[in-house]
Amino acid sequence: MSTFRVASRARLSLALTGAIGVTVLAGFALSGTSSSAATTRGARAADATSYCGTKPGVAATGTPINLGTIDTKQAGTDFSDISSMAAAYFACVNANGGINGHPIKYDVQYDQTQPAQIAAAAKALIQTDKVVGIVGVTDILECTIDQAYWKSLGIFEIDSGIAPECWSTPNSAAVNMGPRYSSDGAVQYALEQHATKIVFDQSNVPGTGYIAAGPAAIAGAAHVPITQLTENVPVTDASSVALKEVDDAGPNGAVILNFTPPDALVILQAAQKLGIVNRVKLWGCSTPCNTDFLAKSLGPAWNHKLFVNAELTDPDGATGAEFALYRGILTKYGSAVSGGIGSFSQMGFVEAKFAVKALETIKGAYTIKSVNAAFEGIKNYKSAMLCSPWTYGNLALHIPNNVDYTTTTDNGIMVVAQGCHKISSADPQIAKYRTVAAAHGL
Amino acid sequence: MPGGIDLHPLIIGVLGLPSWLDFQPFIYTGLALGGVYALSGVGMVVLYRATGVLFLAFGAVGAMGALIAWQLINAAGLNQWLAYLICILFGGVVTLGYGIVFGRALAAREPLVKAVATLGLALILLGLMDLLWTSSGGESRSITLPTDNSGFIISQIQVTWTQVIGLACGVVMTIVTGAFLRFTKLGTAMRALANDREITATLGVPVRRVEAAAWFGCGILAGFAGVLLADLVALDATTLTFLVISSLAAALIGRLRSIVVTFVAAIVIGLVDAMITPIQSITNYRDMTPFVLAAVALLVVNRQRANSLSREGI
Amino acid sequence: MDAASLEGTARPSLSPRGLDARTFVRPAVIVALLAFVLFALPALLSLYYVDALTQVAIYAIVALGLGLLAGRVGLVSLGQAAVLALGAWVAARLLFATALPFPIVLLLAGLVTMALGTVVGLPALRLSGLYLALITLMLAGAITVVLATTNFPNGGHGFLGYNSNALHTPAMRRPTIASSDPAFFRYSVIVGALMFLLALVHVRTRPGRAWAAIRQSEAAARAAGINTTLYKLWAFALASFVTGVAGGLLAGSSRYLYSIDFPTQASITLLAVVLMGGIFSLWGAIVAALLLQLLPALLNSWGVSPDWLTILFGIGVLQVLTTAPAGLVDQVPKDLARVGRLLSGVARRRARTGESTP
Repeated sequence: MSTFRVASRARLSLALTGAIGVTVLAGFALSGTSSSAATTRGARAADATSYCGTKPGVAATGTPINLGTIDTKQAGTDFSDISSMAAAYFACVNANGGINGHPIKYDVQYDQTQPAQIAAAAKALIQTDKVVGIVGVTDILECTIDQAYWKSLGIFEIDSGIAPECWSTPNSAAVNMGPRYSSDGAVQYALEQHATKIVFDQSNVPGTGYIAAGPAAIAGAAHVPITQLTENVPVTDASSVALKEVDDAGPNGAVILNFTPPDALVILQAAQKLGIVNRVKLWGCSTPCNTDFLAKSLGPAWNHKLFVNAELTDPDGATGAEFALYRGILTKYGSAVSGGIGSFSQMGFVEAKFAVKALETIKGAYTIKSVNAAFEGIKNYKSAMLCSPWTYGNLALHIPNNVDYTTTTDNGIMVVAQGCHKISSADPQIAKYRTVAAAHGL
Repeated sequence: MPGGIDLHPLIIGVLGLPSWLDFQPFIYTGLALGGVYALSGVGMVVLYRATGVLFLAFGAVGAMGALIAWQLINAAGLNQWLAYLICILFGGVVTLGYGIVFGRALAAREPLVKAVATLGLALILLGLMDLLWTSSGGESRSITLPTDNSGFIISQIQVTWTQVIGLACGVVMTIVTGAFLRFTKLGTAMRALANDREITATLGVPVRRVEAAAWFGCGILAGFAGVLLADLVALDATTLTFLVISSLAAALIGRLRSIVVTFVAAIVIGLVDAMITPIQSITNYRDMTPFVLAAVALLVVNRQRANSLSREGI
Repeated sequence: MDAASLEGTARPSLSPRGLDARTFVRPAVIVALLAFVLFALPALLSLYYVDALTQVAIYAIVALGLGLLAGRVGLVSLGQAAVLALGAWVAARLLFATALPFPIVLLLAGLVTMALGTVVGLPALRLSGLYLALITLMLAGAITVVLATTNFPNGGHGFLGYNSNALHTPAMRRPTIASSDPAFFRYSVIVGALMFLLALVHVRTRPGRAWAAIRQSEAAARAAGINTTLYKLWAFALASFVTGVAGGLLAGSSRYLYSIDFPTQASITLLAVVLMGGIFSLWGAIVAALLLQLLPALLNSWGVSPDWLTILFGIGVLQVLTTAPAGLVDQVPKDLARVGRLLSGVARRRARTGESTP
């Protein structure tokens, strides 16, 4: 027994070293492919990036302005593309004059959805990294966990959120609409297509009741019955789920999904395999489904059958200076953006753009006070990626993005099915926001 | 708790049972889900009987093979059958490699140690998959077999050939591997080896070669199941890696020995799970089905058997 | 089987190595270490690491419970993260529903978890080895599904205390003497130290001796007149109690709890780090907690993907099971000694060759 052990030890350590070696190689191989893919996309658009800053071609060398973010990065739920894109935008700004000569230093903290870790990350940003502003946060829980902390420091974060507090508190404003208002939009579209019943199914994650309240109010206002369902994720029995949804909706009803792309995909594919896609009037989806990855996986069988609420302008074929800049930055600085062109990188782009524009208004020192006053003061900033101008403001709640598109699947890509459309004030939170905003003259 | 038998009065009394017509299609989705559990459950039992190792990395090996196949098809434009073949070979090679290095090193140890060690392999593969196939840009992946696009209609729903193949594979695997282990020379040698390595060695069985054959064969099974499960469940590293936990329930009901019982248990689990789906008030608890049935089977039904099992040293 | 399954060739001594009071030096070192951790560490470190170390203190208790079961009694549980979730759920419910002092909440969380753990453990104890591990995995799977559906309390009403409509989720309270992060760190370390003391008392007295006998051979233990069922159940109860208390601390430290933080696979990772830390020494639990909670914090701050951690834990499990059954806590000193010998050997040879050359 002991001799066997000794004899095998050498081989084992060899195997373990081998395993580590393979892993390291694999890691390099991955980073190698992604960066080379980015560079081959061409340096043609490189000159488009020069006007992201105020002094084209002049690198910023002043004392840095520290900005920070916290993103969920775990297997299955990874939002790091958003901060990677924001980082790419800031790199572009830094290479072209910075903010009045000051480069932006961007500190990214990742979390694996553990509340203690998220609270610690916020403290690390403030105390260790000395950040003066929070931009680009995309996290399942961050808005809930850190709201009180940001409020106590006077920080106004610019984010693309998921938790309810991202839209219901004074210290957070998002460029996206989040699960509730995006689901509102999907339900609204289905109602406009005269669906006589809505089945709203979502993943069983924190805050399902908060999310479901929106679609329920929209359907209620139209006097259309709605069934609320939740599924534990990851979905392992997608066929049963799809069957249940279709049975509930009936031939003139609509099934609206609020899931991450992988879970939405398995449900939709299960419906296709069961041959029950056409047994409902239409399928709808909140914004996560708005990716070409999903459209490609679904294929032409789904052409114009799935309608997805989209918060941002479809980048496919979009022209204009801002999209040229977006593509240019992605090519020149965005090697870390694994998903490339898509709504994740668009969100990071818009958040960084607004932050930079607000920073440029500051005269004097860049402190927590001055930077956050500038963020809070953002009023009617325009972006070609958003339907309507974006405003922060000193409000009790913020839903600045409340006008949006609907896209649909078309031969493996998502195309626009309906242009900019207001989310209905039948959702009481939307109504409340519009009242509050109007009272502040916005 | 929704267990198999005490469920019905509950449903009828409190919940208002959906009509039989509503239930019918769920029988077929249930059979499909049962097929999924059977595929990996039976696979694990076969491996256990042939090598004496409960191979908990079964799902992870298959998942990685399927992701490699996806990569080859979508990035390299490889012919899909060739890609699936590579996936199956990947399963065989990785499992064989593990068997040669760790299977032998741990051959004299308890079944528990051998099983926990395979969790180590599962974690390594899972970490690698998450590193190499990220979802940071909202990526979603899928494998669509040509057999998905056709099938036949039963009870107003389409049953695809992939689902039929999945179920058939379970049956074929049950019969073929059962017969193989029982009637062929190699199979008998594998069983003997799994029971007692040293005695088998003294009997003149070429231990290393037989073991290698068992590991490679089981790896091939894992790779094959990987492609099917990626199509039937989802092409997602975490989902497929930990699907073994649910599938294990069926294997446990078969007491890690009986391939037939494992197969039947898997089908029953799938059916119960699917039949609960349309019942609104408990639908979210349906994922408990495998665990509850396994716990009931192990703790209540096998009260006496359990004692003898613990003496057997399982 | 002789439940000594995970130990391989390493046979632990009856008393826990490292916490053995052979001399007065060792307790003195431990007290000094504890004082350093309590008073110097929070001042030296940024809040980010203080928070991370609070998690280390909490998970050291969890690892202690699992290590006791696996190392002392030979019962391997693959469901310990679910037990932690139960404790956290109970504590959260009590924190929202009552104004009970925090220590009482911790105690109640421990006791309720102990009761639940024992009820579950009672039938499971008929099984052993692989079967016990797998049945705990099944139970953990079931608990995970229930928690995913009921959710953790967030200030709502009713038995479950969950309000899914909340626009603002309130934070859970902390004890008044430990409301700041450094104070809660000290609080967790003290509670953790008490749990270790509780475990130590058990290990050094009658139950510890009974467990050791059961681990060597259950049949022999029974022949020697030891009530094996009682002592196995006792071990389950103790492990569940300390894990429940840890759940209470987790509720206080995180202030928000979500079922997504307790997936079934968390129990697998937990077993992996506990094996890596070493199950035959109580110190191993601390090493395990450092691996599980401090290492991710470090990797995060270095910008390294957490996926590497999964790979590392996988390699660690294989390494521990094949070559170092007593874990890092045993292996690292040995390796250091070996490296030391090697270096001194090299130095000596150098010196000798230096002498010989003019």
